[in-house]
Amino acid sequence: MKKVMRKSLLALGVSAAGLVSMSAQADIPIAIAGPVTGPVAQYGDMQTIGAKMAIEQINKAGGVNGEMLKGVIYDDVCEPKQAVAVANQIVNDGIQFVIGHLCSSSTQPASDIYYEEGILMISPASTNPAITEAGYDTIFRTIGRDDAQGPVAGTFIAEQIKPERMAIIHDKQQYGQGVATAVKETVEEAGINVVVFEGITAGQQNYSSLISKLKLNNVDFVYYGGYHPELGLILRQSAELGLDAQFMGPEGVGNPDISKIAGEASEGLLVTLPKAFETDPANADLVAAFEAKDQDPSGPFVMPAYTAVQVIAEGMEATDSTDPFEVAEYLHENTFDTPIGKVDFDEKGDLEEFEFVVYRWHADGTKTPVNTDKAQTGSEETATE
Amino acid sequence: MEAPLYFLQQVINGLTIGSTYALIAIGYTMVYGIIGMINFAHGEIYMIATYVAFIVIAGLSMMGIDSTIFLMVAALIVAIIVASAHAFAVERVAYRPVRGSKRLIALISAIGMSIFLQNYMLLAQGSRDKAIGNILPGGWHFSGGDFTVVLSYMQVIIFAVTLISMLLLAAFISRSKLGRACRACSQDRGMANLLGINTDLVISMTFVIGAALAAVAGLLLGMYYGVVNPYIGFLAGLKAFTAAVLGGIGSIPGAVLGGLLLGVAEALTGGYLSTEYNDVVSFGLLILILLFRPWGILGKPEVEKI
Repeated sequence: MKKVMRKSLLALGVSAAGLVSMSAQADIPIAIAGPVTGPVAQYGDMQTIGAKMAIEQINKAGGVNGEMLKGVIYDDVCEPKQAVAVANQIVNDGIQFVIGHLCSSSTQPASDIYYEEGILMISPASTNPAITEAGYDTIFRTIGRDDAQGPVAGTFIAEQIKPERMAIIHDKQQYGQGVATAVKETVEEAGINVVVFEGITAGQQNYSSLISKLKLNNVDFVYYGGYHPELGLILRQSAELGLDAQFMGPEGVGNPDISKIAGEASEGLLVTLPKAFETDPANADLVAAFEAKDQDPSGPFVMPAYTAVQVIAEGMEATDSTDPFEVAEYLHENTFDTPIGKVDFDEKGDLEEFEFVVYRWHADGTKTPVNTDKAQTGSEETATE
Repeated sequence: MEAPLYFLQQVINGLTIGSTYALIAIGYTMVYGIIGMINFAHGEIYMIATYVAFIVIAGLSMMGIDSTIFLMVAALIVAIIVASAHAFAVERVAYRPVRGSKRLIALISAIGMSIFLQNYMLLAQGSRDKAIGNILPGGWHFSGGDFTVVLSYMQVIIFAVTLISMLLLAAFISRSKLGRACRACSQDRGMANLLGINTDLVISMTFVIGAALAAVAGLLLGMYYGVVNPYIGFLAGLKAFTAAVLGGIGSIPGAVLGGLLLGVAEALTGGYLSTEYNDVVSFGLLILILLFRPWGILGKPEVEKI
């Protein structure tokens, strides 16, 4: 009897110890959802390294309210169907904070689920306006919108390039078509002649009939809304088929892989990208931390992902809670100093201010900012990478 | 002068892509002709062959070899060997054990194999696009009025290699002993077996030949586009399958005709309507054929054997 007693007491003690250590280590899980595999996985990597770095630095500084953050990675392959499955899994896993998703077409359906389940989501990469237009109060983004990016590109085209006959191509996906439409509206308002506006199928490899058509129409400028694998092939085949036109694309094409695919044909491509946060002197320590881990802080979504984690942590700290609604309310009401500058969310969850800059891409995978100051047309600053 | 030249350019574009559809379609049609199943893993064999060709070209280039002909021949030989080995293994592992059972089981086995092969390459090579430089740049330009027709060297190579492969295949089927056995098997496998033909060997060889032609297509398209990823097999396989059905599944000339037709139809749609309607037209064509001539353009109507 005594033996049994002692045994059960011991068991009780063990389980109590277990309980204590559990509550001390009860991490706050944060889901990082985006493409880990698939054709645009490198953008997912940018998001992951940014978010992971923020989590690591916050934990090193003592965590949030004494608890540690824990990043949990989910793979949506940039497919809407997969994104819904991932969102449901995040719900089932009881995670209340999400960094992601990356592709707008994935973020959109996933955000419906997060809103219904009371989960706070911040996308560091999805630029399609519709995502925050739904008016969900727990959905945010730390990047600009296509209807901000499109006009930047459109205005640049109308004022600096002034093409005679322009073509706009997109990949029929939410992101690509969204930004392409925004560009179309801006340039047409400025009186630019858009002679071809057409969609392609993402994953398609043969663009010869499209390029021949652009040649027939004597197109001198092509704007492409979409991601780099398709534009890379279009550039390569355009060079082969003798289409002599200037190309431009959104940040979805601004990736060194485009130079691997298109080679010399990627030289001179124009790209709108978020401002190069890694060149901001205020971020020098952070950049050094990335470089110490042999990671590249210059990807367009790295700093926005870092920022997303940081504002969530600050929200939790200030409200002393991990309730998504309380944190969301705090995010709406306050401003934050972050690596992407001063962050101030409007009532939709969009940033009040976010700057896109036009870059010229080079065949070696680097980029230089194009000086958009009208007084100095044509002059370009030197390499920043 | 512009309009006919533009039409010519689009036909050239269409024939280029169409001839590679035809090369892949033959693999579908031959297997169907002999064992009556659709080998859905065939598109993945094409994808694997493209990877192999890339690895060989990249490897030899790194060793300082820059003779285009040598690179192509070396890549072709290695790609054919590796692709054939894969197809042979797939048939042994996934199809032969279920050959006697219902058609649906073989079909599911094929889809499973397709998913397996895609993920196997995904793990081995990663999901990102792999690219090689253009090893055969340039072409002929014919100018007339405002429009210049471009016939790139690579397009000519694609036509020429496809034509040679087709002639070799035709000679093999009609002249060689194994080709005769193939034809016998496609007419009546049971009877061929009774007459002493090793049908297992014939079926294996069918898979190997189909894979070899897919490897030729893999090398050609790989060089033409310069890019490969583990997902290219799906779309290419689907298009080639459409081409095979269009021409009449089971018929080799049908597969060739179907491939060329599909390629030209796509190019003209892209050229005169919109690229957005490419798939609408190709699959619309398929539906029309299935409605009015289910056995395809050159196929034979199937007589139900009672």
